[in-house]
Amino acid sequence: MENHFDTSKLIRVSLHEVENQLELSLRQAFESLQPKLRPPFSLEIPEPQEYLELNKAIVYGVLCEPSSSKTHIKHLHALVTDGYAFFTSLLIGIVVELYVKLVDSAKIQLICVTKEMIDVSSVGIEDLLVSLLRRIGSGDYGDQNVWLCSELVSLFLEKWDCLLEDMPLVLTSALYSFLRLLADHYRVLGVAKLENVKRLEIKLCVKMFREQFHLGLKIGRDLILLLQDLSHVSEFREIWNDLVSSHCSDIYQLKTSSRYFLLRITPEMETQLRFLLGNVKLGSHKRHQMWFLKKFLLGPEKETLLIDIVRFVCCVIHPTNEIIRSEIMPRWAIIGWLLELCRQNHHIERSVKLALFYDWLFFNERMDNIMNVEPAALLMVWSIPQYPHITHSLLEFVLHLVETYEITSRDIIVRGLTSAFREIERKGVIRSLDIFLTNPALAPDLKKKLANLLSCHHEKVPVNLHQLSVPSKQTFLSSEANLKECSTKIFDTPDQKLDNSVENPAKHEIPG
Amino acid sequence: MQLFLKDIVPAAQNNINTRFIILDKAKSPAANGKNCIALAADETAAVHIQLWGDECDAFEAGDIVKLTNGIFSYVRNNGLVLRAGKRGKMEKMGEFTVAFVETPNISEIQWNPDPENPKRYIQSGVVSAYSRIFPPLP
Repeated sequence: MENHFDTSKLIRVSLHEVENQLELSLRQAFESLQPKLRPPFSLEIPEPQEYLELNKAIVYGVLCEPSSSKTHIKHLHALVTDGYAFFTSLLIGIVVELYVKLVDSAKIQLICVTKEMIDVSSVGIEDLLVSLLRRIGSGDYGDQNVWLCSELVSLFLEKWDCLLEDMPLVLTSALYSFLRLLADHYRVLGVAKLENVKRLEIKLCVKMFREQFHLGLKIGRDLILLLQDLSHVSEFREIWNDLVSSHCSDIYQLKTSSRYFLLRITPEMETQLRFLLGNVKLGSHKRHQMWFLKKFLLGPEKETLLIDIVRFVCCVIHPTNEIIRSEIMPRWAIIGWLLELCRQNHHIERSVKLALFYDWLFFNERMDNIMNVEPAALLMVWSIPQYPHITHSLLEFVLHLVETYEITSRDIIVRGLTSAFREIERKGVIRSLDIFLTNPALAPDLKKKLANLLSCHHEKVPVNLHQLSVPSKQTFLSSEANLKECSTKIFDTPDQKLDNSVENPAKHEIPG
Repeated sequence: MQLFLKDIVPAAQNNINTRFIILDKAKSPAANGKNCIALAADETAAVHIQLWGDECDAFEAGDIVKLTNGIFSYVRNNGLVLRAGKRGKMEKMGEFTVAFVETPNISEIQWNPDPENPKRYIQSGVVSAYSRIFPPLP
């Protein structure tokens, strides 16, 4: 049997592990081309196949032979004819597939060669930087992870001008990552080695706001969510007061692009979440759920990751109608489980619920995607038969946000929430809002509150709570029988309720 | 040839190539300290596997394992188990991404010699739909 345990200088291989094909192909290229990797280099232009092999060999050489990495890089510069595209794609492959197994010296080399690729503006460098950012683990305060975080924040500061000129949007990604990480880094106490990282993170983020505010705004509405978690940090309070608060209403209108939600989800986590929500049947999901928990969520510092996962599930994983109609685990079930996990910690629970409903608050049916609000809607509906307290607590939470969440934006929120509720009915995510409005399992004051909220749009959108006609209804309801059970036969007259509503200031704000 | 678990038949031959995900592992190794029993499965069936020596620590629940030249046969005290044996090997090839079933469990099936070909075994009955050692999660 071939013994590959100690032949790789790139990764740590454990006993009983299949050989990694990427590592193998790099190592084989390095071994077979070794004579050509030393000066004097050939002046001949290599054949296309040899060009690729040389790139692989050089990647392996740079990462595994720190002492001759300068030579390898020189060789690369002399050789390259594709704007470093293939070389960079190999580095991305290594970060995505092998990073956790890399030996320490290879990680150091990886950062060095990344800087080198920034200097030459390699094709794909933006993706390489993003893949590195995704490698900073949440709630992991081990030396390796703190080191990576520190290296990357330093890299963005060091290469600021170059990045700003060539790929400004990668700075927006960095801002998102480090704002999010800072919130965690402030939450954890007694980790001395974080102090320096925090200082650098603040420096980078503040620089971004002060010098390139427009780039920060590109994050969209999640920027405000991030800043809220940092409101206790004086630097960010100032930024909030000076810059952000006056732009809030514009920022809320901009839906955050899915690229940002990926930043705090590692590739492994993404693979497993996509598998859970694309291949595992509801009912036989328990072991997968347990493995996911064990791998990613154990430990008190990991709890904040739930916020990122909920945003990711709502805003990035949008299952096809085929999957929705199948027995595959739906998103609302995963989110119900995640909410269960954070019940012990009220602060986290609140943040997770806010993450779940955040797009509801600013929902605009012309710009927002119904799939971002669908999980919360279905979780509320499907919980009614067996877990009405969950429906109650979610509905209470979201209605309470109207009064408590940033009072200066109350009008926007009333409008957003109303649109979201209307849209989930109109698009057939739920059959009818009656399922909430007339359900005996829900407290009367809550139903009244919801009816009052919905009345805000009354003049503009004719309400017919009884109407069930929607084209895609069946796509969302895998078992209509259950749903029928949930909805009651008693129909309040919505119009009466609406007339009862008090004069609402938001009414005057709603555009036609 | 890569087999699905449902197509594996007991035989005294080291020729089974398959891949499965480990669902559960007995906490402490058996009395002799050298092997332990685990539950594995793929999309078609489940099976008890026997891990030997350092395999016991190398694999965890959730690991996807490639078995080359394995054997499925009776082992004293452990019943009908799939294992690498001296000539085969088990290697971890991934984690998590197998959608599996826990029934039927081919270790919980009564196998008898085929009357037409006594060298082969055929299914003659189901002892238990699910593993009796590792019952499904509630």
